[in-house]
Amino acid sequence: MGLGTALHWVLNHPRFSILEAVGGLMPGEVFPAFFEMEMLQRALLAALLVTVVAGLYGTFLMLRNLSLIGDGLAHVSFGGVAVGVTVGAVAPLSYALIFSIVASIIIFELQSREIVSGDTSIAIFLTGMLAFGLVVLRLFGQGITTDIEGYLFGSLVLIDDRSLDTITTISLFALVGLALFHRGLLAITIDSVAARVQGLPVHLIGLWFSVTIAAIVVSMVQVIGALLVTALLVTPAATAQLISRSFRGSLLWTQAFGLTSTLVGLYLSAELNTGSGSMIAVVAAAIFAFVGLGRLIFSRFQSIESSPKPVLMDPEA
Amino acid sequence: MSKGEPIITVRDLKVQRGGAVVLEGVDLDIHAGDFVGLSGPNGSGKSTLLMTIIGELEPMEGSVQVFGDKPGAKASRGRIAWVSQAAAQLPSNLRISVRELVALGTMTWKDFFKIRRSDRSERVERAIKLVGLEEVADHDVQRLSGGQRQRAVVARGLATEAEVLILDEPLAGVDRASRDDFLKLLDRLCRNEGKTLVMVTHDQTAIHQCTHCAICIDGNVQFDEDHVSAPPVLHLETLALDGDFPSSQKTKAPKELA
Repeated sequence: MGLGTALHWVLNHPRFSILEAVGGLMPGEVFPAFFEMEMLQRALLAALLVTVVAGLYGTFLMLRNLSLIGDGLAHVSFGGVAVGVTVGAVAPLSYALIFSIVASIIIFELQSREIVSGDTSIAIFLTGMLAFGLVVLRLFGQGITTDIEGYLFGSLVLIDDRSLDTITTISLFALVGLALFHRGLLAITIDSVAARVQGLPVHLIGLWFSVTIAAIVVSMVQVIGALLVTALLVTPAATAQLISRSFRGSLLWTQAFGLTSTLVGLYLSAELNTGSGSMIAVVAAAIFAFVGLGRLIFSRFQSIESSPKPVLMDPEA
Repeated sequence: MSKGEPIITVRDLKVQRGGAVVLEGVDLDIHAGDFVGLSGPNGSGKSTLLMTIIGELEPMEGSVQVFGDKPGAKASRGRIAWVSQAAAQLPSNLRISVRELVALGTMTWKDFFKIRRSDRSERVERAIKLVGLEEVADHDVQRLSGGQRQRAVVARGLATEAEVLILDEPLAGVDRASRDDFLKLLDRLCRNEGKTLVMVTHDQTAIHQCTHCAICIDGNVQFDEDHVSAPPVLHLETLALDGDFPSSQKTKAPKELA
């Protein structure tokens, strides 16, 4: 039994029956099934896990101006999935993991050695590996099947015990890594020169971050789809920075927005019978628009209400 | 001021950047307690000199010694801190409180894996107090004035408890009134806290405050030993007019390096 199935077993244990108890409180006709049916329970757990992890890392991605690397690596991992499916692998995700991690290391080295700039290397990998996947599928596989579509746009039925285990393991590694390195990561993100002078291993932390992002992206592919990972990686973090005032605050707000997007997205997709990945992405974007608009109106209102006081007084002036 | 061994020595330094020679034949001694101002026109190599001192750039010829060892070597770890230009360096979508920013300075390679260190918050509070930002310690750095934001970055450097602070154009984006306060702060740090300061700046008032100043002109550095009496502005002009450096026009750096 892997980590994911163990977690599932605990939450589903008849003695506690946590999931069922929560499910009883949930609204909707179809949505409570996420807490009751085994297959959908797995999907729910996977979705919540990747949302939490993606939110935490997304804040750093945004600050490092790497918002699109998630998208790039997701396309790369699609290439891996295509190869995995074509050779008939039991777990195409492990192929995706290898592809994604190798690409992340190459992209990181290209960037840090300033051989090509950030966006460019991502663009090359993104298109190259997506196209490679499609060519492999046409040449040696069965073309774009429903399964393959599931990897592109997310499909909760793909999440079996094995992938729940993979997703949980990756999430756990990511969380432990962040607990150890978050200060260092923040330091190199804000000012890499100061961090290096301080004696922090800037290159090593950067490399660890890239590899972890690569793994996280793979864990997200089945839940939300290779084409949509950015919706959970970046959108909640971007919404959070609109209203928070400290770094800790922005991490907490990111979780609030991310989990809301996922739960509301799953609810709507269940009730309206749409794809779950795309619905989560739509909800996340809608929350961003709503909060952004709200902030705009609020700041207008504030500036009419009181005389302008955006700059705090210098205590010594 | 008693002068022992210099803590930073630059000898016959030549640095190339982007294929062009940016610095050539530079000699410089910096002693503990000095407040060194580096000035000069854009592209004259001021920032390149700083970058070489902290080990971000490698010398092509000559040598740089910091605390008797190569820049970035173990000997200088934790004894030297980089204070970047707040106006250019802090990402605009970053939400971070002054206290959180300053706390980043307390990390070193040694205690990197320790999640808590007992004296960490003490060091943070002391640094915030030194720069006079106690009242806004929990405010978002982006909502402070330019001068306050730069002080926050200085506090981050102070939290490292380094003896040497290297400042790269700290006065950019700082208005006149806050500039004077900021210079007073640097003066205090040098006199009362015994910090050694090395600062690149375009600001002539700031240069007057320094105990020593060095003028970069097209790759050469003229180090002015004893200082404030001869206004550095004049110094800069005479050097340029007299053409003391015939090679200067040829080695002009191709782009703004500051």
